[in-house]
Amino acid sequence: MSQAPQSMVKLSAINKTWADGTRALNSVDLEVPEGQFCVILGPSGAGKSTLLRAVNGLVRPTGGAVHVDGVELTPANERDIRKSVAMIHQHFNLATRASVAANVLSGALPDVSLARALCGWFYPQQREKACHYLERVGLKPEHLHRRAGELSGGQQQRVGIARAFMLDPKVVLADEPVASLDPQISRDILTLLKDAARELNATVVCSLHQVDLAREFGDRIVGMRSGEIVFDGAPEEFDDQRLGRLYQNADWGDGEPDTFREDTPELEAAGGM
Amino acid sequence: MNTRPIPVPPEGARLQWHLDQPFRLKHLVIAILIFALLILTGHRTEMDRMVIMTTQAVGNLVGLNDESQVVRGLSKVADSMWPPQLATSEDIGRMNDFNPDDLPWFARVETRETTTQRINEETLQLESATEITEVLYDPTGYVKTVFAKMIETLEIALWGTILAVSLSIPLAWFAASNYSPNRVTYTLARGFISLLRSVPELIVALFLVLAYGFGPIAGVLALGLHAAGFLGKFYAEDIENADKQPQEALEAIGAGKIKTVLYAVMPQVLPQYVAYTAYILDRNLRMATVVGLVGAGGIGQELKGRFDMYDYGHVMTILIAIFLFVFVLDQLSARIRARMI
Ligand SMILES: Nc1ncnc2c1ncn2[C@@H]1O[C@H](COP(=O)(O)OP(=O)(O)OP(=O)(O)O)[C@@H](O)[C@H]1O
Ligand SMILES: [Mg+2]
Repeated sequence: MSQAPQSMVKLSAINKTWADGTRALNSVDLEVPEGQFCVILGPSGAGKSTLLRAVNGLVRPTGGAVHVDGVELTPANERDIRKSVAMIHQHFNLATRASVAANVLSGALPDVSLARALCGWFYPQQREKACHYLERVGLKPEHLHRRAGELSGGQQQRVGIARAFMLDPKVVLADEPVASLDPQISRDILTLLKDAARELNATVVCSLHQVDLAREFGDRIVGMRSGEIVFDGAPEEFDDQRLGRLYQNADWGDGEPDTFREDTPELEAAGGM
Repeated sequence: MNTRPIPVPPEGARLQWHLDQPFRLKHLVIAILIFALLILTGHRTEMDRMVIMTTQAVGNLVGLNDESQVVRGLSKVADSMWPPQLATSEDIGRMNDFNPDDLPWFARVETRETTTQRINEETLQLESATEITEVLYDPTGYVKTVFAKMIETLEIALWGTILAVSLSIPLAWFAASNYSPNRVTYTLARGFISLLRSVPELIVALFLVLAYGFGPIAGVLALGLHAAGFLGKFYAEDIENADKQPQEALEAIGAGKIKTVLYAVMPQVLPQYVAYTAYILDRNLRMATVVGLVGAGGIGQELKGRFDMYDYGHVMTILIAIFLFVFVLDQLSARIRARMI
């Protein structure tokens, strides 16, 4: 196999079986090249969150290996790798009682000493960067000292995005970032995310529930069902028939999901910038 | 189709109705047992004697009988306690820092004549010798002493609280199951907290006075250690119950445990922490007046000393001061609370 441009995120034969016996991931292979906006679709319980969280080690796979930028994720280097892997959450996961400024700055915590963190004494460049990103996501200076919990959902997710970009991430994991937002704001937020990622040439792995948004924003769509990848290709290939089958309730998962994949072109071809 | 007739009770059959009394023999036995237990413990704590003596006292006050031990005892104490002692007089001859040009406010120098009888060794006659001493009479001298002791009491409470907060923060870290390094540290921290909470301040102070001697050190340590147990427990429980989502967000970027607590947990729990700490300060202010009774400094120590010397006038002044102190404190905290809500 020719040495294609190295993939930024590489999951090799990842398995995850929860303590209760649920097989959330079943030998999943996935390579995401640098700079790609990869959307993961699939019905509830398909294992999307589990997959995303395996990338930064929030979920420890029961089998297989995770590589981020060519380095294998191990408990020993987990903290280091996490610095370059940002995460955006469905429920924003902000400290709601803290100010917007404190929330964004907290995204830079791995880069400051404990003493500085204790006094909230971040470096001037970090303060500037926080302001830069807050402006970039469309917030105003008067929001800086507002409590994060007082903002609307859309504004909170903007803060979440600003926080995620504080450490210049190489990979951004977004788990249903717009699940609780209205369609117009969802589009705005995903545009922001995509543009900000493109500026840094960051790789985005984003799970979504809205198929139209997936088709609009994804460079590539990965369809998951019952812990397996059953579709992997360019948005144009993800036609309505496939969409129907992905979300169909019929017991289709134990058929031949791989027949779905055989006609999809190579990942790199589909996911080029 | 169900075509069978619906069953009806045969003609003349009577339904069995029962409506019993709510209590049965079992309940009566329990009631008798409880009553017997109350009689027994009431007798052991002399509640019967208390009722008799109080009745006598009331009878004596309204003029029905002329003898009451309670009234006699109380009036004896009241007689000796009134008026409260406000002034001090000090023998100038024994003062080594006396400066006649710089007397305290309202203070004046008085001469006292003391006549003593003694036997002249030559004549073997009893003769009286008059000695003239100069004393510094300060009409508010004892009020000042009590005031200074009240301030010391306040300081003991304040430092007890500072000590409690600074001890309980690391303690809470180890006692929070989601941040404690391992099971052993968690169990140790929880055990230590229970130990601190289980021993009352006064008993701790009793032992600390043996270790550190009389004075405020024992008081501060006693108040601080007990309150550290209280705060440690409540701080830790708040950390455990805090919303997990923001913590996960910082964990996901590798911020580390301490910084995660600082930025994802503290903002959530801070209002509660302030409330707990205010409660402890309030409690310590009250307890600080008491720990002195075993010699741990503050107004209580002065009270105990005067009580043991039968200086009941001084005791009265102290009691009035404590009452005023607690009264002002209640007013203040009520006002602060009203402003915060
Ligand atoms: N902590 C856990 N313990 C046990 N089972 C879990 C746990 N987390 C997830 N699961 C199970 O793993 C499977 C995959 O869950 P996952 O959250 O990854 O799905 P998802 O695709 O993200 O779904 P959704 O779209 O609803 O978010 C589900 O069957 C779920 O019940
Ligand atoms: Mg999910």
